[in-house]
Amino acid sequence: MANELTLAVAGGRKTQGLIDYCAGLSDNQRVLVVTFTRNNQEEIKRRLSKYAGQKQTVIVMGWYTFLIRDFVKPFIPFKFYGERVRGFNFEGRPYLKASGKNRFLDKHNALYACELARISFELIAQSQGSLMTRLESIYDEVLIDEVQDLSGYDFDILDCLLKSSIRVKMVGDIRQAVLSTNPRAAKNKKYAYSQAMHWFMQRQSAGLLSITQQSVTWRCHSHIAQFSDSIFHEEWGFPKTTSRNTSNTGHDGVCLLHPNQLDEYIRVFSPTCLRDSSRSGKEYAIDFINFRVAKGMSFHRVLIMPTAGIVAFLQQGALLEPLAACKFYVAVTRAEQSVAILVKNVTCSSLNYWDGKS
Amino acid sequence: MIEKVRIRGYRTHKDFIFRPNPKLNLIAGPNESGKSTLIEAIALALTGRVNGRSASEELNPYWFNIDNVNSFVASRRRGENVAWPEIHIEVFLQNKSELQTLCGAINSDNPVNSCPGVAFSVIPNPEYADEFQAISQECLSPLPVEFFKTEWRTFADTPLTSRPRQLSTAIIDSRTVRSASGVDYHMRYILSDGLDPSDRAAISVAYRQIKADMTNTTLRPVNERMAGLNATLHDQDITLAMDQSSRTSWEGAVTPHVNQIPFGLSGQGQQAAIKISLAMSRSSQKAGIVMIEEPENHMTHSSLVKVISRIESLASDDQQLFIATHSSFVVNRLGVDRIHLLGSEVAKKLSDLRPETVAYFQKLPGYDTLRMALAQKVVLVEGPSDEILFERVYKDLYNVSPIENGIDVLSMRGLSFARCFELCSELGQMVAALRDNDGKEPADLLSPLQDWLEDGIREIFIGDNAKGNTLEPQLINHNSEDILRRVLAVTSQADILTWMRREKTEAALRIAKSIECITPPSYMTNAAVFIHG
Repeated sequence: MANELTLAVAGGRKTQGLIDYCAGLSDNQRVLVVTFTRNNQEEIKRRLSKYAGQKQTVIVMGWYTFLIRDFVKPFIPFKFYGERVRGFNFEGRPYLKASGKNRFLDKHNALYACELARISFELIAQSQGSLMTRLESIYDEVLIDEVQDLSGYDFDILDCLLKSSIRVKMVGDIRQAVLSTNPRAAKNKKYAYSQAMHWFMQRQSAGLLSITQQSVTWRCHSHIAQFSDSIFHEEWGFPKTTSRNTSNTGHDGVCLLHPNQLDEYIRVFSPTCLRDSSRSGKEYAIDFINFRVAKGMSFHRVLIMPTAGIVAFLQQGALLEPLAACKFYVAVTRAEQSVAILVKNVTCSSLNYWDGKS
Repeated sequence: MIEKVRIRGYRTHKDFIFRPNPKLNLIAGPNESGKSTLIEAIALALTGRVNGRSASEELNPYWFNIDNVNSFVASRRRGENVAWPEIHIEVFLQNKSELQTLCGAINSDNPVNSCPGVAFSVIPNPEYADEFQAISQECLSPLPVEFFKTEWRTFADTPLTSRPRQLSTAIIDSRTVRSASGVDYHMRYILSDGLDPSDRAAISVAYRQIKADMTNTTLRPVNERMAGLNATLHDQDITLAMDQSSRTSWEGAVTPHVNQIPFGLSGQGQQAAIKISLAMSRSSQKAGIVMIEEPENHMTHSSLVKVISRIESLASDDQQLFIATHSSFVVNRLGVDRIHLLGSEVAKKLSDLRPETVAYFQKLPGYDTLRMALAQKVVLVEGPSDEILFERVYKDLYNVSPIENGIDVLSMRGLSFARCFELCSELGQMVAALRDNDGKEPADLLSPLQDWLEDGIREIFIGDNAKGNTLEPQLINHNSEDILRRVLAVTSQADILTWMRREKTEAALRIAKSIECITPPSYMTNAAVFIHG
């Protein structure tokens, strides 16, 4: 069976697709489901126990756990003789010029998170094949959720998995690549964020992978879906989103909102308020959720505190740089029915503004 | 399955490496050489348990190698800051795909070697660092095991909490300690492993159902009567129900019966035979590793013959067998080339023995090959009269009997000198063989043995042709008739040679008991001098 990558739009039921796939597996298929965030891991475990509870051979693990458990812990002596992994150091960073063991392990022999993918990748070759043989013997399939969050050496590891006898099935949305597993990794910077698409296309041409685009959203109202498509330049080649959300509430789609009407708007619609980071929206006494954190969540109505870049995009049509575009896309596509964007100048854009009526 | 076992610091084994054969392993050695310890250590690493109890509960100071402990104490007393003794047992397994979850490089091999395996260690618990500091020089031994921790993990550095599914192990020990239920822990394992998962599930469900039925029927009237008791704090009802906890699961209640007699009450030999059959039976769930401790215990010879042939017929390619034994019969029957002789640091193997020789001893299993293997030096003689006489000659020369010098005198009783020489040569044993010339030229007698002889190590001593063909004329030629008649108490009417030939063993016994010393034939003296060294 070939390796698969399904790229779906926000609200495209990517995770549910994996769950349904697991539920339909034949018994004794040993499957590893890999995710990148703890929230997502809990969500997948919860849904698996609901829809595929009889499967004893499906394991859910975070990407870091996978690398520690199946790459570094068993094989670290191939790199550093006599050493054992004694823990995981998520926050710490090695000294800039640290080399040898100190590059990867702190003084308590805990692995640095930021160097984990690199040592894992290097051990694949250094273990003289035993690492991949072991993986191939213990997993039939590896399913990866939110694959757009791979970065740096993660891609090299994925490359080895694609070439192995393990079937790799991935789902993700390149437009939501807002959470890198390793923000400091210099390697593969060129693939970072949306550029990951090109990497996958290359693998497809090499026959390692087949890519399916899934452009139906069950979440976002068609006006929101249309607007979300406009965030990315056409040359990126994302297909147009189709909406299956047919409900109408009388206040649907995307509009602008003047700060003067903020309180009134919140009173009437109780939207969930999103912002880029804690630096934005300080002047308002509102409970915000940061874009990054909102990923994977779904809200009825959303209010967005825009960045300067977003304002420029709305008013002059200036395209956002890739990361900013991804974040804005995530924010917009959290909404089922309506998105309101808070701007001072509500008239110089093609979008309508809320006039306090509907 | 198991390719290598390395034991460091556990009981008699300071640093012991054992490389088992893929199928059959006969573990022999003198008392205290660590046969049981080896089996115990393998079981510890494979099951995390010892005698059915978890290792951390059973941990005691006497697990640690006594030499290690003594040298540790001595070093500390000298003020050196040496590390506390540790125990490490590693079991290296064959690199098969179904064992890959256990695969990794966290083992003691150098250069780095990645293979499936499990490791068991006892190491100082870093959480008790302060306590270790506070222990005074005088109280180092026995070791404060409560501050140590056991670590049981795979070579992939994953901690183990229960026996890995792939490593089904059956241990058949002949110890007489038994649990209250009559079925010991090992037996329960063997039984439970021997059943198909579906059978196991069915028994479990039925047993729980029976208990539930009992609660609902027999206990119901009792519960109705007790309902009005109001004995609790908040006046809830008290009821009686069958215990459904796992402590009371079917495994504790279902026991094998032999002729309607519970297993635990049948004879020890019978029990061992049943355990062996169950553990080795050709079911899909059979144990991959079977360890049998001294099957000869509690068994008559004929039972042992039956059990051994059962072991032979049940043994299959995908099962690895370890048998610790003191019995030459067991060794000969199962193949003397499968033997591992335990020494101090390594186990000696005999895998280079010629197949004909292995087959030879299989057909003559009564012969005491283990004595040959375990003696420090060996003297081979033809029959009982030679044996008795040699013992006396040696004692006259050195004032001690040969066995006190580690020399075992074995009577061949018609066995082939060549086979025994081959075996001794494989074992590296020092051997003196004594034989009659039977009227043949010594050179003709030597030639079939030439391959195994080695000056100063393995030599044969043959009676001088001029002094007679056999022992009796040799004795007559080396002694005056007077002495012989006195020592043997043969009257002047009888012909001494005829009498000696007729009463060979009696003659030897009378010489051995006599206060007077005779002059031994010179080949016998030479042999005694040679073997004494």
